[in-house]
Amino acid sequence: MTDLPRDREALGELPNPLGLDGIEFIEYATTRPQALGQVLEMMGFRPVARHRSREVLLYRQGAMNVVINAHVSARPHSVKPTETPVIAAVALRVRDAAAAYRRALERGAWAVPTHVEVMELNIPAIHGVGASRIFFVDRYREFSIWDVDFVPIPTVEKHPPALAGLHLFGLVQYIGTDRMDDWCEFYGELFGFAVLPDEQRFGILPKGRILQSPCKGFYLQLIEPEPGIVDIEGDESLQRVGLGTPDVPQAVALLAQRGVEFVENRDVHTEDRGALTRNWLGGLMFELVHSAR
Amino acid sequence: MTQLSGNIDDFGMCTATLAGPLEARLRAVREAGFSQVMLDARDIVDHPQGLEAAVAAVRASGLRVTGLQTLRDFEGLTGQLHDYKVDVAKALLEMAAALGAPLLLASSSVSPHASDDPQVIARDLRKLAILAVPLGIRVAYQALSWGRVVSEFTTAWDMVCRADVPNLGLAIDSLHALAAETALDDLEFIDSRKIFLVQLADFMWQEARTVEERMATATRQRVFPGEGAHSVQVGDLVSRLAAIGYRGDYCLDVFNDDYRQMPLAMVAERARRSAAWLGEEVLQRSVPLPNAMRLKGRGAIAG
Repeated sequence: MTDLPRDREALGELPNPLGLDGIEFIEYATTRPQALGQVLEMMGFRPVARHRSREVLLYRQGAMNVVINAHVSARPHSVKPTETPVIAAVALRVRDAAAAYRRALERGAWAVPTHVEVMELNIPAIHGVGASRIFFVDRYREFSIWDVDFVPIPTVEKHPPALAGLHLFGLVQYIGTDRMDDWCEFYGELFGFAVLPDEQRFGILPKGRILQSPCKGFYLQLIEPEPGIVDIEGDESLQRVGLGTPDVPQAVALLAQRGVEFVENRDVHTEDRGALTRNWLGGLMFELVHSAR
Repeated sequence: MTQLSGNIDDFGMCTATLAGPLEARLRAVREAGFSQVMLDARDIVDHPQGLEAAVAAVRASGLRVTGLQTLRDFEGLTGQLHDYKVDVAKALLEMAAALGAPLLLASSSVSPHASDDPQVIARDLRKLAILAVPLGIRVAYQALSWGRVVSEFTTAWDMVCRADVPNLGLAIDSLHALAAETALDDLEFIDSRKIFLVQLADFMWQEARTVEERMATATRQRVFPGEGAHSVQVGDLVSRLAAIGYRGDYCLDVFNDDYRQMPLAMVAERARRSAAWLGEEVLQRSVPLPNAMRLKGRGAIAG
């Protein structure tokens, strides 16, 4: 019998311990699902399905799923929908959702109790930043969570193509003063994210620190308050979604035709590297980032 | 210039030093000239109108919260015991978040059921710190002088280093250091930025040899620095901490049966004298400049 290498040497943990494989969906909570839906449609998404039991809609473009949740939960600690849509959850694709969930709890994640209706999937979740949640999903290949909990909207294309190759590039998280190391440790410990060197930056808004997912498929950008600005206590949240495109000017042109306006000022303006949409509904915005995928 | 203008902004009292309703304790701390208070979880939960009223009282007091104490016997357990302690830790962390407490004090385990393996202890402390990250709370690990495995701040420091998490640091308690007779020269080996809290108290006799004696002294017979038998050593500890660069909070962590049956203002005044002695004579600070600003961010001052 041959010894496994790890019997002889401390090899530590292998990369990508959860078998992370990108993001299955991003969920926004809002009291104005129609208004958010209009913005998403301008950004190239199409509504494709609705939840069986709750006021929840699925929008899709290319490989991206975005969920609009207008369901008011009676539970404490859950995101209460407001007029301004907030990113309430991120679902990570993993090899084995139950194992990923257990591993996260063993390492200090907070479990979120799930309340499912009959015949609905029990998707395990942990607490993320602020009131947001992180789901673990392992059914995304042969059949999907959408086949169980959602009913397709009749007559619409279930898999609308992506505009200008848009795909999910990452998320921007605002953090409190002096919280950079804490959050880097959190994402490293629970999911295997790695901090990129400071010179490696994407897009046109290079602040903060960037973490790469262990699957190397998406990024988290952590941004602290400007020094000298009084930060509001507890003001930590997922601020915006970054969309990747192989051709930023083309994507900007196509989106502009659909009515999307982009920020053009001295500090922030559209370049080949990226662009930033104006904000809608009191704070919702999207960033475009040059990304070949 | 009033007596309240001494430079004691980084010194605070602890609610457990005083008797009476929470509101009265907070008022006494404030009226003695302190700007911060360490909250004892029991004093919060004991509020007759419940937790929410206690939170409101703390928020209304105008005092900055130093932290919440104490999570006990967390590390080294397995199975159900471990799960139970995780629940306790989560409850305290949620309380800390509600109270605006940026720090949770965790004391070293005295449990005979706990492992003595440093790897296991460090792993559990790491988990505790990760639990605290989303809530924005730092965990300060303190060696009880009667702790089963960790009984000196040097060993506690070793565990903090092994755990290696940004929001896990050390709490140094002068009384436990004195009782355990830890050499203060060992402070030189500690990174001052990883000392998250210093708790100060003295006691009236020269030695506390047995575990029983240490426990009785620490839980019922502490006095304020400057009032006990080890003023020189407490002063030495504070000077050495300043010399290695510690600029964090000092909490006067006094539990004393006599003080719990004395008028609050009288006890708080003793605390103020103690803080003034430490600030002005031991640390030899001048009184603060008018409108002096605290630098923002914990890194800015520790730098």
